[in-house]
Parts: sequence; C-alpha cells; structure tokens
Amino acid sequence: MLAVDLTGDSVKAKNGAMVAYEGDMTFKKRTGGGEGLRGMVTRRLTGEQMEVMEVKGHGTCYFADRASEINLVSLHGEKLYVEAGNLLCTDAALRTGTSFTGLRGSAQGNGLFTTTVEGTGQAALVSHGAAIVLRVTPQTPLQVDPGAYVAHTGNLKQHFQSGVNFRALIGESGGEAFQIRFEGEGLVYVQPSERNTIGGEI
Amino acid sequence: MNGPVIHDAYTLPVDDNVNPYAFSVELDGQWFLQKGKMVAYYGQIGFQGIGLGRLDRLVAGSFHSPLHAAEWVVAEGKGKMVLADRAFDVNSYDLDDGNLTIRSGNLLAYQPSLALKQSIVPGFLTLIGTGKFVAASNGPVVFMEPPIRVDPQALVGWADCPTPNHHYDHEYLRGVMGGIRAHTGLGGTSGEEHQFEFVGAGTVLLQSTEDLMEEIAVGATGGTGS
Amino acid sequence: MPFTNLTSRMVEAQVMPGRTLFSQRGAMLAYRGQVRFTPSITGGQRGVMGMIGRRVANEATPLMTIEGQGTVMFGHGGHHVQVIDLTGDTLYVEADRLLAFDGSLRQGTMFLGSQGGVMGMVRGQVSGQGLFTTTLEGQGSAAVMAHGGVIELPIQPGRPVHVDPQAYVAHRGDVRNKLSTALGWRDMVGRGSGEAFQLELSGTGTVYVQASEEKL
Repeated sequence: MLAVDLTGDSVKAKNGAMVAYEGDMTFKKRTGGGEGLRGMVTRRLTGEQMEVMEVKGHGTCYFADRASEINLVSLHGEKLYVEAGNLLCTDAALRTGTSFTGLRGSAQGNGLFTTTVEGTGQAALVSHGAAIVLRVTPQTPLQVDPGAYVAHTGNLKQHFQSGVNFRALIGESGGEAFQIRFEGEGLVYVQPSERNTIGGEI
Repeated sequence: MNGPVIHDAYTLPVDDNVNPYAFSVELDGQWFLQKGKMVAYYGQIGFQGIGLGRLDRLVAGSFHSPLHAAEWVVAEGKGKMVLADRAFDVNSYDLDDGNLTIRSGNLLAYQPSLALKQSIVPGFLTLIGTGKFVAASNGPVVFMEPPIRVDPQALVGWADCPTPNHHYDHEYLRGVMGGIRAHTGLGGTSGEEHQFEFVGAGTVLLQSTEDLMEEIAVGATGGTGS
Repeated sequence: MPFTNLTSRMVEAQVMPGRTLFSQRGAMLAYRGQVRFTPSITGGQRGVMGMIGRRVANEATPLMTIEGQGTVMFGHGGHHVQVIDLTGDTLYVEADRLLAFDGSLRQGTMFLGSQGGVMGMVRGQVSGQGLFTTTLEGQGSAAVMAHGGVIELPIQPGRPVHVDPQAYVAHRGDVRNKLSTALGWRDMVGRGSGEAFQLELSGTGTVYVQASEEKL
C-alpha cells in the first residue's frame, strides 16, 4: 500500500486504485497518455488503455492495486518505459505518453505501444511480488521472461530471442519459448512472477 | 525515499535470495530447473530438455522421476539465473547427506549432486544426498516437529521423519450427530476429517494455505494465457 | 494472547478445556494434541434465536467449534491474517473474513441499515457485503483475513476516514459509518467499479483497510 501526503498539490493515479483517504480531496477524471486532445487521439490509436484520475487536496491518500507490490521509481529527467497496467500513480508533474515498442508488446498482447513517463519526480509501479532491478551494461546483456518484464529505463535495445537454447524450455504448450534480450546501458524492472501473456507462444 | 537496490551481473547474490520472492543462482556447471521458473538470467547459459540424449549420464544419476521429466530442464553454463514462481515465497535448503520430501509443484531447482526420486506419497518428490535446492511456498515456510497432524494441502514437505500416515477423525463420523449428518447432510462437515499424521523424529514443513500452490500443467507456465 | 502470527498468513492458537475456539470450516492447517473439530450448526451462536438470526441475516459462513487440549494452526486461501485483540470493545467485521476467534467473544449480527438508513442499504449492495455484519464483543482475539496486507487507520473526531467499500476490512470503536459520494468521485466510475461510493467513518476508533480493492 502506498501513502501519498498531499499539501495542495496533486497526483495522477490509475482509476480505482485509491483504497482510502483522510482530509479534503477532489477527484478529476482524465484520460491517460499525452496531454490534452492530442494525447487522447494517440490513445485511441494505440489501444493502450489507462484510465487516470487526478487527486488534489490536503491530506493523505492510500493507493493499492490488487494486493500487488508497489515499487517507487525516482526520475531525474530520464524516461521510464512501463506497461500501462503496471503504472499505479505518478507525480502530477511527470509527463506520460506512449511509445512504440514493437515485437515485445505484440507478444505480450499489450498492443504495440507502451506507456512512457518522463520528467523529474516519482512514479509508483505495481508488480506481482516486489520487483527486482537489474542493471544492463554493454558487457552484461540480460535475458528476461516476457511475462516477468515490468518496466525499464535507460538506453536499451531490446529484441526477441528464440535461440536454440530455449527450444528445450518449450513444453508441449510453450511457455518460455521467447525471451527478451536487453542490450546497452540501463535498468530493467523484473517481477518474481509471470503474468498472463496472450501471445506468448506466437 | 531511498531508491530500490539495483543489482547487476556481479552484485546479484550467489545462491541466495534477492528478495523473499526471487532467488539468484550462480551457475558454473549444471542445475536442474523446473520449466517456467526462471524470470531472468545473465551470462552464457544453455538449456537442455531431459531425455534429449546428451545428458543421459547426468539424468541417470540425478533424476528418477519419469512422471515429471517433461517439466524439467538442465541449465548448463556460466552466469546468474533469477528464479521465481508466481510471487510465492522462495527459499533454498541445504541437504548434508540427508533426505527431504517435497510437494512436486513447490520444487523449483536443485543441484545435480542431489538425486531426485518419486515419493511413495503421490504428488511428492524426494531429494537425497548432499547439495542445495530451491523451493517455493505460499507464504513463508513454518517448520514443525512431530507429533503433528497436518491438512494435506498445507503440507510442503518433510525431512528425516518417517513417511506420514493417514489420520481420520473417527469420533466425528460416529454418534448421534454423526448419524444425522450422514443422513441429512445437516450441519455439513468440518472439512477436517482427514489429516496426515507425522510421528517420530524429524521436521515437517508447512505453508499457510490449502490452495493456490497447485501444480501447473506440464510445460504450461503461468505465462501462457489463453 | 490466544492467537500468534507464525507468518503473515498463518496463526497459531491454544485450546484447552474451558477455552474453545470458532473458526471457518476447513481453515485448520495443522494441530497437535487432542483436538476435536465439530461443525457448528448455529454458526457459533447459542440457541435457536441465534440460529434464526443467522438465517435471516444471510451471513451463514460455515463455522466449526474447536475444543480439546492442544495447539491449532490456521490459514486460508493464502490471505493475510490480521490478529485483532479486543478488550471489552466491539469489532465489526464481515463474517466471511473471520478466520478464527475466541469462544469467549459474544457474537452478534448487526443490521448496518439501522446506522446508515437508506444509504446503509445501498452500501450493502455496493460492496456486496450484505446488509448485515458480524459483531464480536468482549475480551479476546479474532483472526481476520484480508487480501494483501492490512493497515490500521485511526479515526478521530473531526478527522473522518474515507474508505473504498471493497478495501474495507473491519472497524472498531465508537464509529458512525455512512456511504458518501465525494464531489467528483462519481466521475471516476469506470465500469461500475463501485468506487462511486465511499464509506465514510467518523467518530473515535480504528478502521482496518486492506491493500487491495478485491474482495476475498
């Protein structure tokens, strides 16, 4: 559970994620994605669904999402890539948008686009079990199960790996047939669980 | 607010927990691994199905469960593997010339220095020898000493003690109320008429719940939705 | 201390002659000693009136009586277990969240509508909690289940707490509850998520909130 103290400022949160509050709060419905009308249009096209509310006031808000773990990410100008479903709330000052992610998205059944969060402030990610943060360097690329991927920051190239190696891992009904390989310099957030992936088998 | 701990290929723990739900194995050689239980890895690691020929000798020495062969692979190479299972609690256990029997769905990985055998009790596997294995449980494992009677579903496994017996609550089935219940269904059952009974010296491992930790079908990980 | 948390999802309790326990059926994980488990037709309440009260209230969560001499371990569905100790005050909790409780506690059923009027009725429907809630009163402990961890929020005069009815677990103390619709909150209703309504708790006491909007 995440407690957010507000002193007149505001926070953007996933719709329905607030479980309790004390003090005076007002709530405003917003459509996620970029700002304003253009953002909305982008949303329509990309199919990334994220209903957002803006909470403003004085007091304490408590956020939670299906008993998931909550991970705080501090951004200092860099860009965070996250599946919309894993984004719980952000400082209102952070910009949210969408980005093309290509294959990985399609394999996850989450559409070809992923949510980006940019600016300076804090974002809260939810994961099934506390996420672990793994650093990728040019010398140490990282392989991740698509179902366990939550988010990443930094300058990373990602591509699918379905190498001979993984053949052995494929049971009769698939499973880990594909892995995402991250190369470059950055951080990857991985949850200790594999969410349902629609196109996992391809 | 402190940032989260950032791990890399070098700072990931060596054969230890990353957090309560994730375990990092330093691989330099071979480990047996249940399919779908690895969420990420660094390094040069190959994965071989069991019964694919090349590993026949290893399998002959360490894997004696044809029933579960399709669910396991051998990870081979050098690197770090992060193991996890549906955000259940994960722990490692060291056996020193010992034996431990565990619910087959709870076992994630083990070193080839251990031998895996099918237990007499259906749904359980026995590990024998010296080495390390990694297992999941719904909530942290609680260790108990016999004598104790355990709901079969809450049982994770047992070490050193004799194989459990079935225990039935006969008192419950007899008597006036028992008769009424049997004939009318009135009152229902308490759901606690049958337990596994452990006696003797040893350790019994319990988890918090009766369900949720069910075995998943062969090869189909939680990751395949359809 | 009749209940001890072994883990966040598992509690242990002692029974002895003169001290019985009630628990949800099937919630026993293990036990030591000579312990009997009997389904409790009256749902833990004594007498015919209690039984009728149950039927009408439709809060008939199957309970069992636990007697004897020994130690019993409880857990259910992987849910978190919160132990709440009562020292003469009253706990309001939905029956299906009760994992186990002391036999010494007086059990009752309360019609929430009597507190919140028409809105109370709406509340029951919205949260799916039924119009009746179980009350436990006296000296003793109760083990309550929640989806995800539980936080305790103090309720003080002039500082009411608003809770998503789905995340509400239990409350205690001298507390009035009413269903309110916050300004703008109604706009947030997605697909009837139920968050259009919030439970407003005011007075003096404590409310227990789970880290999830999912019912058990």
